[in-house]
Amino acid sequence: MARTVLIIEDDVRVRRMVQLTLQREGYQVTEAATGAEGLARLAEHPADVVLLDLRLPDQDGLEVCRAIRRAGPTPVVIVTARADSDDVVAGLEAGADDYVTKPFVPRELTARIRAVGRRAQPDDGPTSLTAGDLEIAPLAGTVTRDGERIELTRTEFRLLTELAAGAGRVFSREELLDRVWGYGYFGDSRLVDVHVLRLRKKIERDPAHPAIVTTVRGMGYLVPG
Amino acid sequence: MSGPGRPAWRHTLRGRATLTITAVTVALSAVLAVGVWLAVSHYLLVGRERATLAQTVANAAQVGRALPAPGLSPEQLLAQLPRETGSTSLLARDDRWLTTSLRVGRDDLPAALREAVAGGTPARQRFALQGGTALAVGVPVEGGDAAYFEVFPLEELDRTYTVLAAVLAGAVLATVPVSLLVGSWATRPALRPLDRVSAAAAAVAAGDLSARIDPRGDPALEPIAASFNATVAALEERVRRDARFAADVSHELRTPLTTMLGALALVEGAADDLPEDGREALGMLREEVDRFSRLVADLLEISRADAGGGADALEDVRLAALVREALARRRRPVPLDLGEGAESAVVRADKRRLERVLGNLLDNADQHAGGVTCVRVEADPPRARVLVDDAGPGIPEEDRTRVFERFARGRGRERVPSGGSGLGLSLVTRHLRALGGEVQVTGSPDGGARFVVTLPLAEEQPCGS
Repeated sequence: MARTVLIIEDDVRVRRMVQLTLQREGYQVTEAATGAEGLARLAEHPADVVLLDLRLPDQDGLEVCRAIRRAGPTPVVIVTARADSDDVVAGLEAGADDYVTKPFVPRELTARIRAVGRRAQPDDGPTSLTAGDLEIAPLAGTVTRDGERIELTRTEFRLLTELAAGAGRVFSREELLDRVWGYGYFGDSRLVDVHVLRLRKKIERDPAHPAIVTTVRGMGYLVPG
Repeated sequence: MSGPGRPAWRHTLRGRATLTITAVTVALSAVLAVGVWLAVSHYLLVGRERATLAQTVANAAQVGRALPAPGLSPEQLLAQLPRETGSTSLLARDDRWLTTSLRVGRDDLPAALREAVAGGTPARQRFALQGGTALAVGVPVEGGDAAYFEVFPLEELDRTYTVLAAVLAGAVLATVPVSLLVGSWATRPALRPLDRVSAAAAAVAAGDLSARIDPRGDPALEPIAASFNATVAALEERVRRDARFAADVSHELRTPLTTMLGALALVEGAADDLPEDGREALGMLREEVDRFSRLVADLLEISRADAGGGADALEDVRLAALVREALARRRRPVPLDLGEGAESAVVRADKRRLERVLGNLLDNADQHAGGVTCVRVEADPPRARVLVDDAGPGIPEEDRTRVFERFARGRGRERVPSGGSGLGLSLVTRHLRALGGEVQVTGSPDGGARFVVTLPLAEEQPCGS
C-alpha cells in the first residue's frame, strides 16, 4: 500500500488541507511549495506517490513531471485547474499516471492516490506472459526483449499486462480504465490513449506501425493472440 | 438571396445606381428628342411655307396678268391656276370674293390677314380651319384692287409631326427598359466587391467571427476590407477576451474552492461532535459550497461551449444508449420510453456535449421541478428527439423563452436556493447550438414541463442494431 505521499503545491492552504485529509487516511505526507524543493525532497526520501500541481511559481509543472519520470518510476498524479484537453494530455505525455482537476473533493483525491499506489504493487496472476517478442514477468514487474530490459512506468506496465493477459481479445477504453486505473464509466478515455501511445514508443520496433498493441478502430486496443 | 428584412431592390446601392443611370439616360434622350422635334418641325414648316409662298406669288402674278385681259372670266381663271391638291384659291376684287372651294370662303380667312393684304402688303398666316390647321398666303394683285389668297391645308404636315412625335416619344420610352438592363448589367462588376463585403458581414452576423474580406484582385476594396477586417478582428479579440476572462475567473476560484471542499469534508467528519444548530449551519454550508462549485464549473463550461468547433470530437452516437447510460447514473430510477425506430437512431455529435445536455436537463428537473417523470427518445427522420418530462407545475407560456437565459429565476416566487448554478439551461442551449440542434420547452400531459431536444440524425444510419 502507498504510505508516503509527496505533495508539490504552491498554495499553502490547499497543501495543508490535502495533508490533513491524507493523514486521516493513514498516509505520511511530505510537502514542497516549489518544483525544485519537491525534486530535492524526492531525492532524499522516495515517496510512493507524488501529487504535483502543474502551476508552480518557480518552474513549469510539466518539467517537474518529466524530471520525476527520469528519476524513476514513482507514480505521479497531476493536479490542474484546467481540465481542457491540452493541459491534461500534456501532463500525461510528460509522464503523469493520472490527474485530478481542481476543485476536487477529498474522496476523489484519496481514490486516485489509492489507485496509482495499488498499481505500484505487483498483482496476483500468471508469473509470465508474452506479447509479440516481449517477455513480461508480472511479479517482478519487468519487460524484456531478447533478454534486454525495457523500462516502463508502473501504469504502462499494468496496461501492457492487462492487454497481454487477455491476448486476442479487444479491450475497450472504458474496460481498460476500469482495470488499469480503477474507475467506472466516468473516467477520461484520453488517459488510455496517451498511455498506449507512450507504451508503444517504448515497446514497438516501429511505433508508427504498432504490431504488439494494435488499435481496433471504434472498439479499443488489442494484443494479438 | 431573399429574406425577411431585405430592403426593396430600389433601395440597394445597385438599385439606386441603376435607377440613376436610367434617369439620366431618359432625361438625355428626352432632351435630344425635343431638339430633334424642334429642328425637324421647323425645317418642314419653313420648307412648306417657302413652297406655298412661291406658288401663291406665281399664281398671283398670273392672275394679275390675265385679269385685265379679255377672254377668261375670273372664275375660269381661278379654276385653271396650277394648285396643289387640297389647296384653295380665293380672289377678292371690289369686295367680291371668288373661291375654288365650297369649304373655304372669305369668312374663313383671318381678318388680320385680309386687312394686311387689302392694305397692299403680302402676308401669310397659320390659322385653324375646320378642325385642322391651314396656312393662308395673301398677295395683292398687281395693277388692280384685287387680292389673291391661297389656303393650304396643313394636315399632311400635322400627320408628319404626329408620326415624328410618336417615334421620338417611343424612342424615349424605349430607353427606360434598355437603360435599366444596361445599368443593372454594368453595375454588377462595379459593385461585386460589395457582394464580398456583404457576404462577410452576413457571416459575422451569423456568429462566425473568423470571417474576413479578401481584398485581393480589387484595389477599390482594399480600404474598406482593411477597416472591416480590423473591426471584426477587434470584435473577435473582445469576445475571446470575455471568454478568457470567464475561464480565468473560474480557474482562480478553483484553488480556494478546493480548500473549502476539503475543509468542509474534514469538519463533516466531526459533525457528530457539533451542537444541533452547528450541524444545521454545516448543512447549509455544504449546500452552498456545492452550488458554488457547480457555478464555477458551469462558468468555465459556458466560456468553452461558445467556442465550439475545433475542440469537438464528432462521432456517431446511438442516442437511446447514451440516454440510457445517463439515466443509469441518476440516483433515482427514471422510466425510459422509446418511440418507433428510436433504439437504432444515431446522431452525429460530440458525446461530452450531449452528456452535458442530458445531465443539465435532468439536474434542472431535480432542482426545480421535483424530478423527472419520464424520458422519451423518438426518431422522426431527419431528426431525433429527446423528451424530458418533469413533475413540476409546468412553465407558463410567457416564461418559456426566458428559462433558457443565464441566471433566469421563476417570477414572483420566493427564492429558494435550488442548488443550481442558474447556467444549466443556458448551457443546454449553447451545447445544442454547437451540435446543430435545439431545445424547446412545452407542457407535459401530466401538467409538468416538457423539454424537447431536437437533433439532426446522422446522414447514414448504420445497418442492423
